[in-house]
This record gives sequence, C-alpha cells and structure tokens, in this order.
Amino acid sequence: MAGGGGGGDGEPEFQIAPMIDVLLVLLIFFMSIATTAVSRYDPTVNLPVAPDANKKEDSENELVFNVHWNPKDLVAVTTFEETQYLEIAPLLPILSARKKALPDSRILIRSDGETPVSYVNDIVELAARAGLDDITFATLAR
Amino acid sequence: MKLPVQSSNPDVGFQIAPMIDVVFVILVFFMALAAQIKIEQILQTKLPGISVSSTATEFVDEQILQIDDYGEVTLNDEAYDSVDSRDLPMLTGTLVRLKGSSDASNSKVVVTLISHPDSPYYRTIDVLNALAVAGITNVTFTADTEL
Repeated sequence: MAGGGGGGDGEPEFQIAPMIDVLLVLLIFFMSIATTAVSRYDPTVNLPVAPDANKKEDSENELVFNVHWNPKDLVAVTTFEETQYLEIAPLLPILSARKKALPDSRILIRSDGETPVSYVNDIVELAARAGLDDITFATLAR
Repeated sequence: MKLPVQSSNPDVGFQIAPMIDVVFVILVFFMALAAQIKIEQILQTKLPGISVSSTATEFVDEQILQIDDYGEVTLNDEAYDSVDSRDLPMLTGTLVRLKGSSDASNSKVVVTLISHPDSPYYRTIDVLNALAVAGITNVTFTADTEL
C-alpha cells in the first residue's frame, strides 16, 4: 500500500493516508460498540415468534420491560431502564409519573418465550394500575 | 548509482488504494453484522378502560379465552387445536367469524385472556397472534390460579 514519502532532510511530513486509516478504524470500533451499548432492548431476550404481528413503526414514548427467564433458578428477572427488578411493584409511582408527563406513553414487553406468563401478567397489571392501557408485546417474525 | 534527490515538500497526492481497502473492510463488517440483525415486530393490545358517560353504554361482546398450564387453549370453555399447534387455525377461524359477526351487529369484541400462571409466555403470544389475525385488540389479561 503506497504511502506518502518523507522529507529529504529527515523531518517527518504530515501523512494523511495513515491518519484516515486510523480514523476509520476508530469509527468502526465505536460503531461496533454502539450496537451493544447501553440500550433499552436486551439482546439476550429470546422473543417468541408471531408470524402475523405488525411491523414496528416507531419507538416514541415507549416504556420497555425486558423479562429474562433463568431456567436453572426458575426465576425471571425484569429489567426496566437498565435496572433489574425481582419485584416490580416499586415501579408503580414511576409509571404513574411517566403517564402523567406523557399521556401517549405505552408499554413494550420483551420477554423470553419460556417465561411463565405470570411475570408478564404482573407487568400488565402494574401498567393498568398506573393508567397505561396501551400494551405491546415484542415478537419475531420467524 | 545516483540516488534520486527528494524534495523537502514532496507532493503526496490523494491515495485511492488505501481508501478503497478501508471501504471494503467496512463493507465486510456490515455484511457480517447484517446476518445477525433480528427484526422485531409487535402485537398491540388495548386494555379495556373505565368509561364515564351519561349516555348509554355500548354493548360489548365478551369472549373468554383460557390457557391452562399445559398450553391448551379454550374459547368459552370449548377446546380449540392441539397443544402442539402453534398456528391455532381452528381458534383463528372462530375468532375471525366472531369479529365479523360483531362488526355486522355494530358491537365491540372484548376478549378476557385467562392464563394459568405457569403456562409459557409463548402460548399467550400464539393466542395474541390469532387475535391479531382476527383484528381483535381489546384484550384483558388475567392470571387464574384456579385452573
């Protein structure tokens, strides 16, 4: 790979090509980090399949609950805004405040398919008590 | 051998080959990443709310869907499809007909989904998928410990 030549008197010249290479490597690095960055959507959740589900249009005003089932301990951990909860009752005032601040808020439940439905029902009940009636369930097409 | 004398300010010029190399690296990166991307879809439901109105309340057509701990689905105490059936064709057909008849009579279909607490979540999604095919979005969720 050809690069720029140096000065005849030993003084280093500004090499633009390696600079661009380094910048692009850094760009790729941060792009790959960003895909697994702190995110509302837990990528380890194995969503169930629903072939006739609707395409997701937007993510505005979403309150995302990720439910990760642990088959060894037979317990599900619910994650909301990067905080894990074994009991979600303390989230009621938070959800109520969000509903009051943003009336268009809606709940998005992302749960492992093998999770006992009681954990999901708890989230739905909590949402109902907070006044949130728009519930969506995340699925995969196939 | 006479060595070429380099000038103090050589004209480097624009190097296209390294640029193309880097572009190909980025292209391969995104090609590998694209294979792992999972596109999510959603099943939307609306919880029946409490309406305060001085006018007459509209008539609703309530249906009871139950899921036991084995994953068997019953509609108004009548079993539909086998436990292994993920598509639930019989239930879907019945729900489509129910929705059609409710629309014809200008009434709203409300489904109460009663699940055994230990029933798997994916079974609920199978039922919600069937409801989505029928166009029914007013769903109430209940966990029944008596099943």
